[in-house]
Amino acid sequence: MQNAPDGALTQRWGVSRRRTRKPVNQDPTAKLFHQVVVPHLGDALALARWLAGNPNDAEDIVQEAAMRALKAIAGYQGGSARAWLLAIVRNTAFTWLARQRSSALVMVGDLADIDDISQSGSPASAQAQPTPESELIRRADQQAVAAAIARLALPLREVVVLRDVNGLSYKEIAEVLKLPNGTVMSRLARGREQLAILLGRADR
Amino acid sequence: MSAPIGEDDLIALNAFVDGELDDNAVAEFEARLAADPALQAARDQILATRQAVHDLPRPTVSADFLHRIEALGEPRAEAATTSQLRRRPWWEGWRNIAAAVLLTAFAASGATYFVVGPHAAAIEQLAAADHRRSLLAQTPVDVLSSDRHTVKPWLDARLGVSPPAPDLAAQGYPLLGGRVDVLGQITAPTLVYRHNEHTISVFALPGSTAAARPKALASGGYNMVEWSGVGFDFIAVSDLEPDELAAFVASYRSATGISG
Repeated sequence: MQNAPDGALTQRWGVSRRRTRKPVNQDPTAKLFHQVVVPHLGDALALARWLAGNPNDAEDIVQEAAMRALKAIAGYQGGSARAWLLAIVRNTAFTWLARQRSSALVMVGDLADIDDISQSGSPASAQAQPTPESELIRRADQQAVAAAIARLALPLREVVVLRDVNGLSYKEIAEVLKLPNGTVMSRLARGREQLAILLGRADR
Repeated sequence: MSAPIGEDDLIALNAFVDGELDDNAVAEFEARLAADPALQAARDQILATRQAVHDLPRPTVSADFLHRIEALGEPRAEAATTSQLRRRPWWEGWRNIAAAVLLTAFAASGATYFVVGPHAAAIEQLAAADHRRSLLAQTPVDVLSSDRHTVKPWLDARLGVSPPAPDLAAQGYPLLGGRVDVLGQITAPTLVYRHNEHTISVFALPGSTAAARPKALASGGYNMVEWSGVGFDFIAVSDLEPDELAAFVASYRSATGISG
């Protein structure tokens, strides 16, 4: 088996390589920006949309985040570009929300309650409210799912979104949120459980 | 209604369905799961919830938004304000004029028209543009099926040729379906896989007699891997990280018997 020479596919398929000669510019910052930020814009928009609580602000948040990312790009050390960008998007979204004094920032319960889940042995919510059959969850429509996510406390919501919308690994989520792995795991378990309860209830 | 289960079990269960449980804990957990209906009900609930979130429509990266962000990376744009960028971005110099013409062509009639004009684009750029276009479309596939026995005949019927479409769901890459792409003058069958929430397009350009090992590159803001074998030149395109994409390509190659 042999190694293909550079651009073997392009040569074989008879298309010119001329346009690959630095089509946009030669600035290393711009090149890095293009490689690190641009491929993950879809993920950035999705995260911003769920943190902001509405789809309209997502583009503005991500644009502002992209400007911050451009300024900070020299500090990008390699590793997961997606996690790096999403951490910036998250910070930008929080600044944005604080500026808008949006009601989306209102938390249900506080952080201490949220992480304090080992005390009771089993989650209080599961005992007080029996969790619904998965069939009920499956029947929930998209509007109900979106509303349920919006009702999750922010610390739970962001973990669920980073995992189930953005598809990050637990390790990447811990990196974005600067949290220990164990906290990520318990918040994810708690977030999905609350979501299940909200969805089961919405459908009844 | 399911009986409440312990917090530690709930956390382990979530990690289990996400494939994040320690390897040495998986077998033991599977055995417990098989014996415990309450645990099974909780698992079904987690799967249903995860699926419900996953099925939500994703925001699309509009062409306008993409160009606005790409313009930020231009050295000239750093000093410019947002409103300037939106109104009158950066067309100065022949290169930018050419880019503007191409952008218009892209917006008006799709990525395949990149090849119109004196400068044909490299196959990698065409693949990147096509992958992007597929993500902007309603669905990235023409035939939606996780069943390789559906995808392969569908491609065969249209092109008379189809690449191996192995089932890689067990390795974490479910097959979403296939589509037919036109890259420049070449009509190519394309397989679409998913990894977590990310789409991977595998372009298969038929007729290759060479065998070539995977080569990583990047074009148009996407990571790519090129390789050849079993009668095709392959290009895998995705927004996955380079090492994640390389892992996918290794799985695909090993399933199609062309690893090595």
